[in-house]
Amino acid sequence: MPRPSLFGLLLVAPALALVAALFLWPLGHSLMAAFTLNGDFSLAHFRKAFELYSNDIVFTLLIIGLSTLLIAVISIAIAGVLTLSETGWLVAVLKQLYRWPLFIPFIVAGQCMRTFLAKNGMMNNTLVSLGVLDPSMTTSFLDWRGIVITFVWKQAPFVILMLAGAMASIDRSTVEAGRNLGASRLRCLIEIVLPQVGQTLLVALVLSFVTMLSVLSVPMMVAGSQPTMLTVDMAFRINAYGDYPTANALGVISYGITAIVAWIYLRHNLRQHAEGGR
Amino acid sequence: MSTKLKIALALAASLTLPATALAQTLNVATAGDQNMVDYIKDFLGPMFEKANPGVKVVAVGTGPGDSGSQKIYEKLSAQKAANADKWDFDVIVAHQKMSGQMVSEGLLAKYREKIATGALVTSPTASNALGTNVDGFVMPMFQSQTAIAYNPDMVKAPPATYADLREWVKANPKKFGYNGIKGGMSGVAFTAGWVYAFGGDAEKLIKGPYEAATKASWEAALAELKAFNQNAVITPGNAGTLDMLNRGEIAMGPVWVDMFYTWMNDGKLPPTMKLKLLSPGMPGQPMYYAVPAKAAQAELAAKFIAMATSPQVQADGIVKKFNWYPGIDAKHLEGKLDDATWKKLFSDLTPDDLSKNAKPFPIAPYFNDILESYEKKVVN
Repeated sequence: MPRPSLFGLLLVAPALALVAALFLWPLGHSLMAAFTLNGDFSLAHFRKAFELYSNDIVFTLLIIGLSTLLIAVISIAIAGVLTLSETGWLVAVLKQLYRWPLFIPFIVAGQCMRTFLAKNGMMNNTLVSLGVLDPSMTTSFLDWRGIVITFVWKQAPFVILMLAGAMASIDRSTVEAGRNLGASRLRCLIEIVLPQVGQTLLVALVLSFVTMLSVLSVPMMVAGSQPTMLTVDMAFRINAYGDYPTANALGVISYGITAIVAWIYLRHNLRQHAEGGR
Repeated sequence: MSTKLKIALALAASLTLPATALAQTLNVATAGDQNMVDYIKDFLGPMFEKANPGVKVVAVGTGPGDSGSQKIYEKLSAQKAANADKWDFDVIVAHQKMSGQMVSEGLLAKYREKIATGALVTSPTASNALGTNVDGFVMPMFQSQTAIAYNPDMVKAPPATYADLREWVKANPKKFGYNGIKGGMSGVAFTAGWVYAFGGDAEKLIKGPYEAATKASWEAALAELKAFNQNAVITPGNAGTLDMLNRGEIAMGPVWVDMFYTWMNDGKLPPTMKLKLLSPGMPGQPMYYAVPAKAAQAELAAKFIAMATSPQVQADGIVKKFNWYPGIDAKHLEGKLDDATWKKLFSDLTPDDLSKNAKPFPIAPYFNDILESYEKKVVN
């Protein structure tokens, strides 16, 4: 192996410094703040976080869990159609359309959903003018449902992109063999294709989960604040009270949630590696 | 050394060299929405540069709400802790809560008596910021006020008091909306007003002194607010309430008066909408102009504020452009404003309403107690 040159190190140094300064240092700082009170170790901030925000912790988990589940179902369906469908125009149209939300930032998506999902918003108005709904039957989706819809709309394309790519690269002869033996396309998708791309799906879902956990703009813009997601509570702790310790405790709780997901992913990953090695 | 590396080093060096400063730069940091930054950049800045050749006004926005003020505080506090000779901001525009804290931590300079317009201020908020004595350290830039906006097509006789509103909401479920306490200050103001109305001694919350035990006396009021919320809509933000009013989804909701008129002017609210100030009172707040204790351009900063608080600028900028109430006494603006503007600002809410029912926010410790009690008792 060639000795790393000074020049090479110099090139990496800014990136390393950036990671240390902008991630590791604040992370350590936030852990310190969350676990100390007047310089001593203390769980007081966590007690406060749980006392005030336990509902919101559950709410956050439910919202993101449900969103991840819906994203999984929708991405499998769409990526499956893209890979297995024999209807040319459908594939062409889907291919054109599904990527669009990828290029739209969360905050813009939030803003659009605010007017789209409202009681007298675009969606209901369209349904009413089509005669599907009566104006008295319309309801506002600007609550937890709005958050889920926005998350799914925004994150599904990302998962589809990864999943469709993985599906396209598997050995098609397995699918064709199944089809020749009379298996339906749905059965081929579930029993042949999915097991081969499970790893990719899991990675994409874990990344989506973590991304959604960190979004502030969507719960802020789409839904009222009772209950709300942890990001909003963190922002509120800082903005209203200048209370960084409790905000940091909430932050540590969301690291915890992320860590569980990461652990599931790593364990799965390791098992696969072990099986691959045999 | 390779040529590439040389170029890279040269580039890096040029970036780190201090930008060659103009003769004089006045750094103005403002909390608040983008409109505040635009106001300084496009309106006050050019005006001041014209009157003072060689001076450049640089406007920096630190973000909306108390968090914007918090950022200004954090910056000044850090520069003080680092023993910096000259601090980066010359003029700051901040909210009450943080301004009070900045004064008590010695981060601001006493300048009001040095400028001519200082004598034009009569508002009690000029000397008292949520319980902190800030006399001399701040000039109110404007006064903003919350009130209940309502749609006269849906509400023939708007409630006049919080108690009336409570009954009205019972009779008309899901027709009143507000944004809770995490979605912006109009909801916070509504909540504070609720505690003024049902929580006992409002005067004590506004003037102090603070007693930690007081919050226990709000139990009943907050339990009622929880019941009230069952029949209210929680909207997404200050703008969310206005949006829902505009779309006819709710008939009533607390709003900032300036936002209300600005949205109306922009055609985002029907011109038929009206305002009502509930008794016994709803809070409003000023934003302050202040000068940091070690501003590099303290003289210029005071001059800038004197210009910004002069009657003509207050009339043209604050009242006409933004529909805020002036920071200096409104009587100094008479004759500087056209009749229509004057009437519009004082038609729904008469000066009499304002003097009776426009209240300050509670002093800072009560303010925090109200928010936290709301989190504990109403949301949980």
